[in-house]
Amino acid sequence: MSPGQLLLFAVGGLATAAYLFIVTAGLSLVFGALRIINMAHGSLYMIAAFVTVVVANRLGASFGFWTGLLLAVMLTGVIGAVIEILVLRRIYKEEHLVQLLGTYALSLVAAGAVRLFFGASYRTVRPPDIVSGSLNIGGFRYSGYAVFMIASAVLIAIGVYLLLYRTALGRNIRAAVSDPELLNVSGVNVSRLYTTVFVIGAGLAALGGAIVAPSQAVGASMDTDVLVLAFAISVIGGLGSIVGTAVGALIVGEVISFGLNNQYTNQFAIAFVFIIMAAVLTVRPWGLFGRPEQEL
Amino acid sequence: MLDVAGLNVRYGKSHVIFDLELHVAGGELLALLGRNGAGKTTTLMGIVGLLPGASGRVEVAGRDVSRWPAYRRARSGIAYVPSGARCFPNLTVVENLEIASADGEAGWNRERVFELFPKLEGLRGNLAGGLSGGERQMLAVGRALMSNPKVMLLDEPTEGLAPVVVHSLIELVGQLKQTGVAILLAEQNHQMALRVADRAAFMEKGMIAEQLPAAQARGSEVLNRILGI
Ligand SMILES: Nc1ncnc2c1ncn2[C@@H]1O[C@H](COP(=O)(O)OP(=O)(O)OP(=O)(O)O)[C@@H](O)[C@H]1O
Ligand SMILES: [Mg+2]
Repeated sequence: MSPGQLLLFAVGGLATAAYLFIVTAGLSLVFGALRIINMAHGSLYMIAAFVTVVVANRLGASFGFWTGLLLAVMLTGVIGAVIEILVLRRIYKEEHLVQLLGTYALSLVAAGAVRLFFGASYRTVRPPDIVSGSLNIGGFRYSGYAVFMIASAVLIAIGVYLLLYRTALGRNIRAAVSDPELLNVSGVNVSRLYTTVFVIGAGLAALGGAIVAPSQAVGASMDTDVLVLAFAISVIGGLGSIVGTAVGALIVGEVISFGLNNQYTNQFAIAFVFIIMAAVLTVRPWGLFGRPEQEL
Repeated sequence: MLDVAGLNVRYGKSHVIFDLELHVAGGELLALLGRNGAGKTTTLMGIVGLLPGASGRVEVAGRDVSRWPAYRRARSGIAYVPSGARCFPNLTVVENLEIASADGEAGWNRERVFELFPKLEGLRGNLAGGLSGGERQMLAVGRALMSNPKVMLLDEPTEGLAPVVVHSLIELVGQLKQTGVAILLAEQNHQMALRVADRAAFMEKGMIAEQLPAAQARGSEVLNRILGI
């Protein structure tokens, strides 16, 4: 493999890591604060991708994508608030299995709704004009949209960091991770905080779905496709850790990119992800950057 | 300042607190004494609004807060210092203080809490989880003060602390009275509590068996009868 090829694949891996990071950051944030593994996280991502594609294709390539992205994030945020208030509040105190089943049920409802509204066929959308070009470096063509995805993920990572570590809301979210009861008696409305956190998580799923839409075919299996990878990333990096999510996403993105771009391994690219996941589970069940359960 | 009447608490089917009545005036310290399992912690948690199985009337400065959730009661002027020097371990000392911060007449803020506990100032950027037990208890009290409370409920603040620390902490709780706050102090360490208390309420099986001025309670036969000393 030439250095140019290596760079090309690495950038491709970064673009995959980028949207996976955005989605998984939402899953991880929700788990960290609400202790809920949201099986419907991929559904929110899928809904956002469909909304983006439909709106973008209706309104045209330059302006439509951004409108679609905005609408997708807003709609998904509203759905997130409704889910938290109507469903999650009833299952916080239940055991893990009930919570899994509850959010899994939501994902089935969402899958049905998506088929009903958008049909079963795949849809595609062109990247918006400003980022649709390509760069030619050393004889290799880099897609401008891949660079846009990477830049988006970096901005979102910085945004999430600033939110968590530089704002009162973020401080309260971190406090809720360790002791929601103490937070409540300190004068913070924890119920409302949970709704806010879930809406932010849903918004991250939506950003991931909207941003990924122009880079791949949008179809009705996107929810589980992304959820499986998001779980792998969470296990590798450690659920509830943003740094772990970033590292996990990088590992998974690069493994997939290099795996797919090699003729001997391209059939097993995803399998490598799960081999790494299994290895991490064996050595450090709480993930590279996570913490053992009893401390949580 | 704090008026509790007809407080009943049930954990599911078991009835634990029975028609409890308590009054603590501003600037007064009431010690809540009783053996293990007498119901001290349950009483405090019922007053702060953490127990769904609690009923009865709780008033703060004449305002009925009984129907409010815990966070609104906290904002109305109740500060609760749970047992075990509970802090947010993954937050820094400063963040632990700021999280409960609210304006109020007593004028407590970060600077004044650091004057009170100079040791905390040197640890301001440290995570609370790394502090010693004594430091965490100071932080827990400091966090309660940051809300400029009208009423403070402390649950065994001296538990597990070295004797010297116990001494200075109790002295300090005694001094806090001068700011006009009403203090309800649940303690196993009755000697320490009675040093600074104005009155003592003795709890037994979820009821207040006896209320005495602290001066009378020291060395009285009630200690023997109810606490078994
Ligand atoms: N979560 C709970 N569920 C059921 N019963 C409980 C619960 N918490 C406490 N109890 C019971 O309520 C009674 C009062 O307990 P509480 O913790 O209030 O006592 P305490 O006076 O604070 O004791 P200690 O001095 O040991 O802290 C006890 O009989 C206890 O077993
Ligand atoms: Mg107790």
